[in-house]
Amino acid sequence: MTYEDYLAGDPVILTAALTGGVHGKEANPNLPETPEEIGRAAAEAEAAGASVVHLHARRPNGERSFSTERFQEIDDAVRRYADDVIIQHSTGGTAAPDDHRARPLRTDPAPEMASLDMGPLNRYDRLTSENTRGLVDDLYDEMRTRGIKPELEVFNDGHLNEVHGLLERRDLSAPVYATLIFGPGTLTRPTPQNFLNSVANLPPGATFNTLGFGRHQLPFATMGVLFGGHVRVGLEDNIYLRRGELAESNAQLVERVAEISERLGRPVATTDQAREILGLSA
Amino acid sequence: MTCPFSEYRPLPDGDGTPRAYCAAAEEFVQAMRADICNDRYGLDHATDCEIYRANADGEVGNGNESGDAP
Ligand code: SF4
Repeated sequence: MTYEDYLAGDPVILTAALTGGVHGKEANPNLPETPEEIGRAAAEAEAAGASVVHLHARRPNGERSFSTERFQEIDDAVRRYADDVIIQHSTGGTAAPDDHRARPLRTDPAPEMASLDMGPLNRYDRLTSENTRGLVDDLYDEMRTRGIKPELEVFNDGHLNEVHGLLERRDLSAPVYATLIFGPGTLTRPTPQNFLNSVANLPPGATFNTLGFGRHQLPFATMGVLFGGHVRVGLEDNIYLRRGELAESNAQLVERVAEISERLGRPVATTDQAREILGLSA
Repeated sequence: MTCPFSEYRPLPDGDGTPRAYCAAAEEFVQAMRADICNDRYGLDHATDCEIYRANADGEVGNGNESGDAP
């Protein structure tokens, strides 16, 4: 995907990362945590232009959960409140045992999409999320068996190499869909030059999604629009609307990028268009 | 064993669900850090939490948690 795709005015898929597994209401009280809250947030984000919702599960007190049952409760709530949004489960989870990581894939029905972290990243001062190749392959194989489209999460340029490696080891169905992530720590340094390099280093024919953490959310979303990519925003990645002002909702962040996209000449994809672009069976 | 600094308190804004609170850092902890506070998934506050390591002296055994000679 390139600037040519921008000029062509292709639709932009907006993904809303509603809750995440790291911070909670202690960081922003508007962040949804319970299945009910997540279901309502999904419907609001969908109404604002999101065609995909990226989901994590939480215990009743807001802490992380990897249980299939909890994901099921969340999906049921999303389907109850939202119209026809694409459900994407996270399989990420620093320090969680490998068998826990596959549990989000086992809901009934399976999610249409799931994230697949492409390699290790540091957390705090003493933790690493390992994401070994063995785990990546195992999660991918289970996704393949269950008909789930992987969203390849690329936290840095080394992970781009891992995308090429995965393509050598496995036969991914087109289009390959990778989320390019920019921010502090293990992430690719958030500069426009690095954004362009990351896009240029994707496998031929790959489709990309753009994710900037914190204050990088808005500029990187805009670059994603300008360079033919898709965009992820949401309270998982950024709790602020602007410096010092907490975002009121996921929908507010989605609405802002939908407006930018439309103004720059790329319409926001409907859910049907998103399914077609991503090669999901309807 | 759960970290001795770990407490559960409701958020001040009226959310009645008790949430992980770090008495050493004097703040609510992130959902993910609560796994360390509770020593879940094989995590251990004494080795995996930098806040514990910075605050353990004096609070819990004068730094003798690891069995080193005082
Ligand atoms: S593990 Fe660390 S963050 Fe958690 S309560 Fe103990 S010192 Fe605080």
